[in-house]
Amino acid sequence: MADPLAELRALPPAVFERGIQTLARACTMAQSWLGVIDGKPPSHDTVQPSVDGPNDLDRATSDFANRTARILRYAALAGTGERSVAAEIADAARASFTGVLPRDLPSLLTFPLRLPLSFGSLLAQELGRGQHAFDIIGPMKAPAFLLELVEAFLDYPVFQALQYKDEIDRYRQRLAVAPDDPVARLHLGRAFIKCGLYAQALDELAIAARDPQTRAQALYERTVAGTRAGSYHQAILDGVSAIDAGADEPRAQHWMWLSSRKLGGYPPGTPRERCVEMATGYVPTALRYRDVAEEIGLDKTSGGRGTAVFDIDGDGELDVIISAVSGGCSVYRNNGDGTFRDASVGSGLDACVNSWGISAGDFDNDGRTDLFVTRLGYFDGQAALYHNNGDGTFTDVTREAGVSSWAPGFTAGWVDFDLDGRLDLFVPSNLGGVFHRSKRHRLFHNNGDGTFTDVTLDAGMTTWGPAVGATWGDYDNDGYPDLFLSSAFGRSQLFHNNGNGTFTDVSVEAGIDRPCFGMVTFFCDYDNDGWLDLVQYLWCSNDDMIHSLRHGQASPEGQPLRIYRNNRDGTFTFVNEELGIRECWGSMSGNAADLDNDGRLDLVLGNGGPQMDRSDPLVVLANDGRQFRNVTFAAGLPATGKAHGANAADLHGDGRMSIIAASGGMYPGELLTTSVFRPETLAGNYLNVRLKGVKSNRDAIGARLKLTAGGVEQHLVVNGGSQFGCLPLEQHFGLGVGRRPERLEVWWPGGPRETLHHLPLNTTITITEGEGNYTVVKRGPDPL
Amino acid sequence: MYTHPVQAIGDPVPTLTLTSITAGEPTSLDACLASRRGGVVVFWSGVCTHCVRYDPYFNQFETAHPELALYVVATRFTESVDDVRRAIVERGLRFPLYNGADGTAAAAYLAQQTPRVYLVDPARTLMYRGAVDNFKYAADPEYQPYLERAIESFLAGKAIERPETGSFGCAVKSVYYQLPKMIERPPARG
Repeated sequence: MADPLAELRALPPAVFERGIQTLARACTMAQSWLGVIDGKPPSHDTVQPSVDGPNDLDRATSDFANRTARILRYAALAGTGERSVAAEIADAARASFTGVLPRDLPSLLTFPLRLPLSFGSLLAQELGRGQHAFDIIGPMKAPAFLLELVEAFLDYPVFQALQYKDEIDRYRQRLAVAPDDPVARLHLGRAFIKCGLYAQALDELAIAARDPQTRAQALYERTVAGTRAGSYHQAILDGVSAIDAGADEPRAQHWMWLSSRKLGGYPPGTPRERCVEMATGYVPTALRYRDVAEEIGLDKTSGGRGTAVFDIDGDGELDVIISAVSGGCSVYRNNGDGTFRDASVGSGLDACVNSWGISAGDFDNDGRTDLFVTRLGYFDGQAALYHNNGDGTFTDVTREAGVSSWAPGFTAGWVDFDLDGRLDLFVPSNLGGVFHRSKRHRLFHNNGDGTFTDVTLDAGMTTWGPAVGATWGDYDNDGYPDLFLSSAFGRSQLFHNNGNGTFTDVSVEAGIDRPCFGMVTFFCDYDNDGWLDLVQYLWCSNDDMIHSLRHGQASPEGQPLRIYRNNRDGTFTFVNEELGIRECWGSMSGNAADLDNDGRLDLVLGNGGPQMDRSDPLVVLANDGRQFRNVTFAAGLPATGKAHGANAADLHGDGRMSIIAASGGMYPGELLTTSVFRPETLAGNYLNVRLKGVKSNRDAIGARLKLTAGGVEQHLVVNGGSQFGCLPLEQHFGLGVGRRPERLEVWWPGGPRETLHHLPLNTTITITEGEGNYTVVKRGPDPL
Repeated sequence: MYTHPVQAIGDPVPTLTLTSITAGEPTSLDACLASRRGGVVVFWSGVCTHCVRYDPYFNQFETAHPELALYVVATRFTESVDDVRRAIVERGLRFPLYNGADGTAAAAYLAQQTPRVYLVDPARTLMYRGAVDNFKYAADPEYQPYLERAIESFLAGKAIERPETGSFGCAVKSVYYQLPKMIERPPARG
């Protein structure tokens, strides 16, 4: 008898994908028709939090599916009885559907049809995501990979709402009646790790380790908990025992290695065959970083997410804003002496709790950079638009501006897509749960009066895949910014700006639509040829990250970040191999910046993942003109972390590009704060450039700069946000040793090109559109 | 330029008069500080994952520091007095807890996260503000007991080397605390 699953798997991926898309569209179309009949069209945009539960059927079915998945997971791990499971599912149905039950005759008649259609469209989207994951990492690794993600997605709302105690109680209740249940004991220990209660975790895991069924996993988790608790010797001993008991060896060895780094090596007596060293990150470099966050007063944000670096108050110094998942945004004002003061309280941004990505742009052209803040990335949240009042405070103008939403938002970006001199806003929608229905991305046109109009449908952006990264850049040099969407659970898409308010999906023709777990993305000209190339950071499994650390290259299934070189004809070539990019990381944030002032853009990758047994280094790939080389550990960067908002900026105005890493993690047990890695030495000359638009948008977002120094051209672009935070508006040119800037061309967005000569060296200048000259920005002395 | 509300180290912090969760009586911070050499005000929550870590520390605080008052304000948005009382019983909490659930006290102290501690002298002069420690554990060579070091210097009449640190913690107020619970009722036993 034929195996239906095998037959399904035998289908060509494209056929399967098309079939799923057809099913999803058929369900959605049928739901729309039913809306015509009963007068209740399906809702796609929700503005308010669902405090009383889901308020439309599609949200209700997603909510119910997530609740049911959570119940079944606990049933498996905490030994919930069948009757209790049934009762809980009934409760879940009540919680999910009470607010959407039909209350009039037409709705009553259509409800029996609407319900299966809603589940059908949800199932289709889930199948699509599942297929995407299988395509990328293959059938062998996909199940374990997806199970880890499912756990994180199911946990996320529980921990965000501080309901972790209910989870712990389940395991405790199970252990009260079955104290010898090793699975419940193991997961109680894991729950304690997630809360940062490592002592309790170590105790529970020690008991779980007595049972052969859970011994290997429990000892491995003890290795994690011990390392996190600073019990490094014990962690290494547990790691050895875990491997002897059959635990995943590379993972256990990774945590042993992290412990050994804290100890300055493996303790005597550690079996030699269990000790590993990592193979990558040691390419010699002139860069040598030191974490100065505490020294300069930038270390007070916990659970950090996005970062924005710009001059808030017009005093010439770069200030820093950091969003935080558990508190409000932190506002750090630059004192001009190398230190920062916390100016959060009363700034208005302190009320912006649970914030995620920050995009900075002066939407009303009043000379003060405003902010758009997304919330909670992988869970529904209220994005917010903050107007900069110019006095150190910000006002929430979301509602007045017409950009309200209640949706999972990771990133947002400012762009003047129609070149009318006003910044428009693009807000992609992300995945918001295991069972989640993708919402449409939204393009808001700036009306010029403080309000925006949603023009997504008119623009022809008919995409429904969740997007983690989105970036704007004029890849074909026609003057209009184009859009690239990076999706973790769908195909990446490139939209060409037609210049008339509409966009065309050119992903396939451009050659950038290969499936991947797409995350951060940005356009930059890494080879300085005047054509914007595309960089797409990817996320990978913990195993693939460890494989890269150990071997200096990705596993066969691992996917390194992608660099697409612009072919200057509307297409791109995937050039990883020739650029030496072979390692894969769980990149969540990052930037391109000339860190070593050699005139070439280097890459910063902020890496990590939600799992508590995951800790990735923040990676620096130095561009030597031929290849990108991993200099991370040689440059003194740490091996642990979860850097969300990894940004690079000349914070002190002395030509040294500091890496600002707002670190957090998903679980409260992560206990990470912000780091500022500053180079200890100044390598090479530099020139920092700030642009002030007049006809163009005031922050000159979308402008291109071409600097010629020593006969060598360097190209930079002003980006309006693409990930956890915006890239700095200030542009930094490294000039190496002995080169002086001869000529700077500015290509204003939609405007004429302007050329400046006789430029200064080793300073920061401002260029105002149309003035044909520059002014030097006065920045304070650097006591560091 | 807008002047940010600042509570500088060395300035007095506002007094508080909150109802004791266990005794049910209003109790002022000033009354607690009277006849002591100072005190520690803590913004706290019964469900904050970070506060749980410090249960043993605060349980033995008044024994370890009889010369200091401890004034712990339960301040999480939507957390009821009954919720806190349940936590007291379940976790065996022995430190004095006061009801600050309306958020007024946290706002007066510019506190956004729990736990956040304020070391004050008898005149409520702010001596130290921030975290209990550097979020690491006693076994860790990098462990820094910020509050204990501040107390030690304060009681010895010495300058506090690091009078302000960042607070790790859970938000005092979040819209997510209002959303329907994601976990259904606990399963029946047996």
